[in-house]
This record gives sequence, structure tokens and C-alpha cells, in this order.
Amino acid sequence: MNYQFDWSVVTSNFPRLLDGLLMTLEIAVVVIVLSMILAIPVAFLRMSNIEVVRWLAQIYIEIFRCTPLLVQLFWVYYALPTLTGITIPGTISAVIALTLNLTAFMAEAYRSGFQAVPPEQVEAGKMLRLSRVQQMRYIIVPQALKQQLPVILSLNISLFKDTALVSTIAVADLMFTANKISTESYRALEILTVAALMYFVIAFPASLILSKIERNLMMGSSVRKKKGLAVQMMPSGKVKVKP
Amino acid sequence: MSETNAAGPSTTHPGPARASATRTNTGRAITANIGDVLVSCRGLRKSFGDREVMKSIDFDMRAGDITVIIGRSGSGKSTLLRAIAGLTDPDDGEMVFDGEVVFADAKRTPAWKQVDSHVGMIFQSYTLWPHMDVLKNLTLAPRKRLGMSEREALGRAEKALAEVGMSDHIRSKPVQLSGGERQRVAIARALMMQPKLLLCDEITSALDPPVAAEVLDVLRRLKEEEGIAVALVTHDMAFASKAADRVVFFHEGEIAVNATPDEAFNHTNDPELKKFIEAVRF
Repeated sequence: MNYQFDWSVVTSNFPRLLDGLLMTLEIAVVVIVLSMILAIPVAFLRMSNIEVVRWLAQIYIEIFRCTPLLVQLFWVYYALPTLTGITIPGTISAVIALTLNLTAFMAEAYRSGFQAVPPEQVEAGKMLRLSRVQQMRYIIVPQALKQQLPVILSLNISLFKDTALVSTIAVADLMFTANKISTESYRALEILTVAALMYFVIAFPASLILSKIERNLMMGSSVRKKKGLAVQMMPSGKVKVKP
Repeated sequence: MSETNAAGPSTTHPGPARASATRTNTGRAITANIGDVLVSCRGLRKSFGDREVMKSIDFDMRAGDITVIIGRSGSGKSTLLRAIAGLTDPDDGEMVFDGEVVFADAKRTPAWKQVDSHVGMIFQSYTLWPHMDVLKNLTLAPRKRLGMSEREALGRAEKALAEVGMSDHIRSKPVQLSGGERQRVAIARALMMQPKLLLCDEITSALDPPVAAEVLDVLRRLKEEEGIAVALVTHDMAFASKAADRVVFFHEGEIAVNATPDEAFNHTNDPELKKFIEAVRF
């Protein structure tokens, strides 16, 4: 390989890359927060006793789960203005498309968590005359979120990486900026390597946290299933379960 | 077929003179005296699909009584308890609680909301909320539903746990408790709402006999010391014969026998009950 690395192109353009990273993080945070909130009502609609409502929620979820994110992004950016007559800026289009996409996946994660809470626990709440909202808030949601935390975190990590697609609609995120600098400097190897490292530096700790949570949850469930045997074999023995 | 469907004379009432003197924030106080009819069901019917699990059930319970309900699986025992608890609505019939019609014309009446907090239910499976410790399990409903202060709820929780012999476990998580301990905490949690009727659906079926005996002893003490009426679905014939005021035998969706333990176990003419007792004993 005769390629001569020139890392000066990275140092001279580092502030631009940081600006791009900041835009990526801003989009990711806004989309994640919006999706985590919006997915709650969507999950409830998906479990509604009214068939039409349930079907509408399911149609929305399936459309966004079964079509490519890039198509959704282009559709919101290029096709939606044709329908509405309103031009939507790239950043807003990106947030709309990514939020609609992540909400669909997140709603299914929530629904699965809600339905995994044993009905007897909800009935115990009913017998203590807790209202439906109180049953949701204090009994169902905390357990469902805890159980689905690995899935939710995993979806959020994927979303963070998927934000790179917004560069295709001219949003100045990290990928767009890196691509632009590469074209200007003809130093794609150095710039794209650093861009990849920047994504990695953000996503890897989140992935480690995810693994730790999964391990803790698995240990917790084995404690519950084996009732003491697993805990007795644990060196720390902090939690003692009676048989 | 039925030997008697009335509640019959209550046998022992060593508890307090009145079933209740407490008004909760969510309803009215109970007016029934110990020995008065607290629950009265007439013509209760319930079907699941083609299967009729309750066929015109007439059933009375007196304040302060222990009623043991026995019968084969699927005979309608649990459905009756769930109907009284408000978890299942019968298809037809009428229910009266403390003198007020709480169910008629296939729906709950507004009066139900005035008395529902006096009815507690404990289930076969462990229904403690695993993400909360024992104290939070006990105080959540009184704080959120009855508007009790943290201090007041703590005081009541300590008293309820003392009543079931679980004072040392106030900060434990459910996963750290044995089966019997969890059921005792479940009883304590039900006591937090100061029920006058406790419905227990096979709460000892997953427990070893000595542990089950401890749990049942807690119920007997609640009746004697607090005057709480208990309706208990169980296969523990020893407890039924010693502690029950009435024994109700369900057979194929009907009450075949409603009698005192002595009548039910020693003098019954009902062939199905005889068969059932033989099967359970041996």
C-alpha cells in the first residue's frame, strides 16, 4: 500500500466535524425523547378494545417497520411538501421521519412489556381500588420499562447510527460534514475513519451499559426462577433469597 | 339438591361488636353488626362461552364469619369470589352488600363504589409487586387511594405486618421472601384498606402444609380479633372443620351444600360432597 496518510486534514477540519457531531446528537436526542413519549399512547392504541383503533395503530406500526428508513426520509422531505404545499426544512423533515420510524418500533417494545406484566398483579391493584391511571403508573409501566430496557436502549443506539441517513437530504450532520470534507480534500480515508470513530465513541459506552443491564436483568430473572439456588452460588451473596 | 342455601345461624362471634367503625376517604362505613348478613347474592349466573360456571347461585355471608368454599376445579368457586370482589360481572342476578344493592341488571350500581374498598382479595399466585419493597407494597394504595399521609401509612403498615407476624420484613423485596411469607404480606397489604370482607382464592394451594397452616391461622386470628369476614376457597379440610362457620360445597356451577362444618363433614346426605371429602382426605 503506497497511500500516505495525512492527518493534518483531520486536525484542520476538526471543529467542522465537531459541529456535525453536535447536529447528529441534537437530532438523536430530540427524536429519542419524542419517540419515547409518543410511543406510550401508540402502544395503548395498539392494545385498544376498539378494533378500528387497534387496526389503525397496527397499520401505522407496520408501515414504518416494513419500509426502509431512507424511503421514509425521502418521502417526508420530497413527497410530503407536494401533498401539503408546505416546504419542510431538512432538519425538521429528518426529525419527523426518524421520530415516526422510532415511535413505531418503540410502541411495539412498550406493548410487549405492558402485556408481559402478569394480570394478577393488575388485579391486585384493582382490588386495592387503584384507578386505571394509578395501576398503569405504579404497577405496569415501571415493570414493563424495566423489562424492555434492553430493547429500548438497543433501538436508541440503532437510531443514533441511523441519523447518518439524514445527510442524504442535506442536513449538516456528522456524516454530511465528513462527506463534504472528504470531497473537498480528497482525504476520504482519514476523514471517514475519524467520523466512524466519533460514532463509535458515542455508541460503544451505550452498548456497554446495555450489556450490563441485560446481565443484571438475566441475573434477576434467574434469581426469581431458581429461588435461592442461583443466589447461594453467587460470590457476593448480597441478595439472599429464601427457598 | 341443596341442604340449605341460607347463611344459617352464625356459630361464634368473639370479635368486636361492630364489623366496622371506620369511614374511608373513598366510601361509607359498614353498618352491619357481627352476625348480620354482610353479602347476599341471589340468582347469580355466569357463562364463559357455552359453559355456564354459575347457575343461579344464592349465597349469603355474615359479618365476622369464616366461610370455606370447597369443590372440584371449574365448579364455580373462584368465579363467585371474583363476582363478589368486582373483578367479574355476572350475566344475571343481584348482589347486596351491607344492605345496599351493588349489582343488578347485569351491572354494578353506584352504591358499589361506596363500599368496594371494604372488600379485599388475595390470590393463589404471588401478586406482590416485585419492583417495590414490602413497605411500598403496603402503603401505595392507602396513600394514593385513601389520601393517607406517609407517616400514617407507615404506622398502619407496621400494625398490619405485626398482625401477620412479618414485622422484620418491612424493607424486604418480595423476591427475598418465601411463599408463605409472601402470602402473609399479601394479607397485610389487603388489611391496609381495612376490609370487612377478605376473599381468599386458593391462597395456600402452592404452600407446604405447615406453611399453609400458618397462613390460615392468620385468617382465623383476623376473624377473632378484627371481626373480618373471610371467604376462603381451600382444600384444607382440617382448617374448614376447625375454623369455619359455614362450609359451602360447589358442584357443577351450583351450591350443593351450605352448612356448618359438622353438618357438612359428618352428617351430609349429599353423595357428591361425600365423594369429594373422601377424595381430599385420601
